[in-house]
Amino acid sequence: MIHVPFAKATLDNGLDVIVHEDHHAPLVAVSIWYHVGSKNERPGLTGLAHLFEHLMFEGSPHQPEGYFAPLQEAGGALNGSTSADRTNYWEVVPRDAARLALWMEADRLAFLPPALTEARFETQRGVVLNERRQNYENRPYGLAPFALMAALFPADHPYHWPTIGQPEDLMATTIDDVRGFFARYYHPSNASLAIAGDIGAAAAIRMAEELFGSIPAGPAVPAVEVAPLAAHGKRIVLEDRIEMPRLYLAWPSPALFDSGDAEMDLVGDLLANGRTSRLYARLIHDRRIATELAAAQSSRELGSTFQIVATAAPGHTLTEIEIAIREEISRFADDGPTDVEWQRGRAQAEAAFVSRLQTLGGFGGKADQLNAYNVYNDSPDGFEADLQRYLTATPRDLAGAAARWLDVDRSVALCVVPAGQPELALPDSTPASGVR
Amino acid sequence: MSAHFERPQPGAPTAVRFPPLSRDQLGNGLNVLVIRQSSVPMTTAILIVHAGTAHDPETLPGLASLTADLLDEGAGQLDAIALADALAQRGSHVAVEAGTDAIHLTLTSLSRELEPSLSIVADIVARPHMGTDALARVRELRLNRLRQFSRSPQSAADRAFAGVVFRGHPYGHGALGTTASLETLTLDDARRFWIRHGGPANATLVVAGDLAASEVIAITKRAFGSWSSEAKPTSPAPATLPPADARLFLVDRPGAPQSELRLGHLGPARRTGAYHALVTLNAILGGQFTSRINRNLREEKAITYGAQSSFDFRRAAGAFSVDASVQADATAMAVKEILRECERIREPGDVLAGELARGQASLTRGYVRNFETAAQLARAAAQLVIYGLPHDAFDTFVPSIEAIDGDALTRAAREHLQPDGTSIIVVGDAAQLRSSLEAVGREIVPTSPEF
Repeated sequence: MIHVPFAKATLDNGLDVIVHEDHHAPLVAVSIWYHVGSKNERPGLTGLAHLFEHLMFEGSPHQPEGYFAPLQEAGGALNGSTSADRTNYWEVVPRDAARLALWMEADRLAFLPPALTEARFETQRGVVLNERRQNYENRPYGLAPFALMAALFPADHPYHWPTIGQPEDLMATTIDDVRGFFARYYHPSNASLAIAGDIGAAAAIRMAEELFGSIPAGPAVPAVEVAPLAAHGKRIVLEDRIEMPRLYLAWPSPALFDSGDAEMDLVGDLLANGRTSRLYARLIHDRRIATELAAAQSSRELGSTFQIVATAAPGHTLTEIEIAIREEISRFADDGPTDVEWQRGRAQAEAAFVSRLQTLGGFGGKADQLNAYNVYNDSPDGFEADLQRYLTATPRDLAGAAARWLDVDRSVALCVVPAGQPELALPDSTPASGVR
Repeated sequence: MSAHFERPQPGAPTAVRFPPLSRDQLGNGLNVLVIRQSSVPMTTAILIVHAGTAHDPETLPGLASLTADLLDEGAGQLDAIALADALAQRGSHVAVEAGTDAIHLTLTSLSRELEPSLSIVADIVARPHMGTDALARVRELRLNRLRQFSRSPQSAADRAFAGVVFRGHPYGHGALGTTASLETLTLDDARRFWIRHGGPANATLVVAGDLAASEVIAITKRAFGSWSSEAKPTSPAPATLPPADARLFLVDRPGAPQSELRLGHLGPARRTGAYHALVTLNAILGGQFTSRINRNLREEKAITYGAQSSFDFRRAAGAFSVDASVQADATAMAVKEILRECERIREPGDVLAGELARGQASLTRGYVRNFETAAQLARAAAQLVIYGLPHDAFDTFVPSIEAIDGDALTRAAREHLQPDGTSIIVVGDAAQLRSSLEAVGREIVPTSPEF
């Protein structure tokens, strides 16, 4: 039984405040989620949500030198991240600096716009272009996720473009776009604030009320609507500065917390994660035709993706790998997991849930998880129910999910091959798009 | 909302006390350290074997790491996959890593599964199969990983940097070794390495979690009590080090949109008396987001996503380095700015009292964040053992940092930062960079690290 006790208050301006007391260490974690991400962008202006996240650290008229210095001097760590669905910001501070961390979040929510100068905007755009070069363009296989998303989702679907944005869109963005983005999405009624650690719940809620209470609620943010996906098989090829061809097989899969989402997470582990997985045994241990292997159900609000990735060992082809993966998927969909596999999946899920309770804050800590459940499920009380999805999935459920979602004829197959050797791709692959 | 939304000041800092360490030694010589941390019913156990990649024979780079990798490829009654399954069925996980000075086996386990999981770790170290099949598989996977790394700018830069700064020293080669060495390594080499180093008298087990020390020690005795081996305590790597090589080493990566940089030189070992002065110096120079180098290259010039400096303190010696990926057309400027920052901070009076105090405060007030989880506590205790630190090293950190004044900082900077003796590694598009790099004023050596 996983129990993370909390108190929740919703301020008059709509801000949800969640407090979890944990007095093991003299630390307080603050996490604030804004329910906005790259899914709220439009083609031609991609990358705006993430570029905006950078500008959130730049300060206000009260704090013109930015927020890093005062937080670091108080012993705090701080960061933020942007995904397709949401943007989060966090601080982990010694308990004596809890108010400082909360002040910073309130100050930038209330007073950021005057600090959004042309010079700061230009600087952070340059930093983001370098982030893109470092993490994607100059990294082996780094553009593969862009090619996959562009192939899985049609051009008008908000998951079609990468969260980091396209360089020409970033260059076309103006400071007025940034100010408009702030006005539309950054307000208390589109936010969730979690405070976890060595602090009393009543005192923490009072502090949040004092600091955030008078910020206006702001306009309602309409939900992003998308048409159902018409999945169809596709083979694409991307050339890169690499040594070994790699195959990505990807499918649209059940959205976050939808029926089948946890099942697909378990299916991925049993098929291709770790030495005990079926594909590891076959592709790497026994036949040695692959040298790297992983699977992932990447759960998202408007629809998830499931992928299996394998790198061909020298002397072996992506075709051999694709055939083996197809066979294992089909065997799994027909027969389901063995009892041993099923028990292993449950045991690993339980340990992973307990493991995630170890940190108060930061990426993936308790404060972050409370916000995730609150934003996606309307209640912070999601830990046990989430785990139960994994523990109650039967072998038949897992087989059924694999059968329903992993139709090999409807997968996107992305082949990343060494530059100048497109013949190493699967037959009939066409050049990938979305990778400028 | 008030127009004067004034920033609150932090309150009085909370004193940092490292939790009590219970120590024991089994009859076979295995040292055991236990820390109680009760927030979550999970336990982290780190078995440290005091031999690492620095103990690779000169002609066999990669041996320690290959040996470590072979350990969990079947042990005791279990073959490789059965062993992995036995852990996974309990939700437990073991990672085996070869560092420069030690091999670590890190077990993460629900506390209720600690005993069976720890007994598998005992099998791994006391009864590894080290079979022919496993060697063939592991060797092939490692050869492939080397090929993959050869295309990663970070790996190429790290390998080139260690090779130049520590050339001829056991810290100078990559953990995986090279394609050439992997092809010659035999099962006997790995077995001999483990017979020589992998025994209880050369090992320490650190356990942190919610179980009482007495219970952990009882479990440890049952799991590891029968582990016997001839292995003797290993000597640290030699302290003889090469002279500085202040040339610019250019690794070609045609078409690269950024250049991967490593600038640095040798540094002191972990037990140096200058440790606290250097940690403070680094916080001001490049260890944090608000440090000088990141402010300059990221927040002022916007030519990088981030730039960091660090002192890598090891058992026998260390290294100072500045690491960054910078946009290709700003490579020469970035190199010159980094050298200028290292030069400037050596000038007496350059660091004003306020900047020093802010750097110290970030370290002292933030220190408590290092001891939140069982895994952090276990890793911290492992440092005590690997580097032979005094048992109160964590409790004296804050006052030792507070004691650093401007003069001590400048002395440490002048002694331990050598801009003129800095080796420069650039992994980038050589044709595009070469003429602009001439302006750095160093001899340019085209190079290609061996993978």
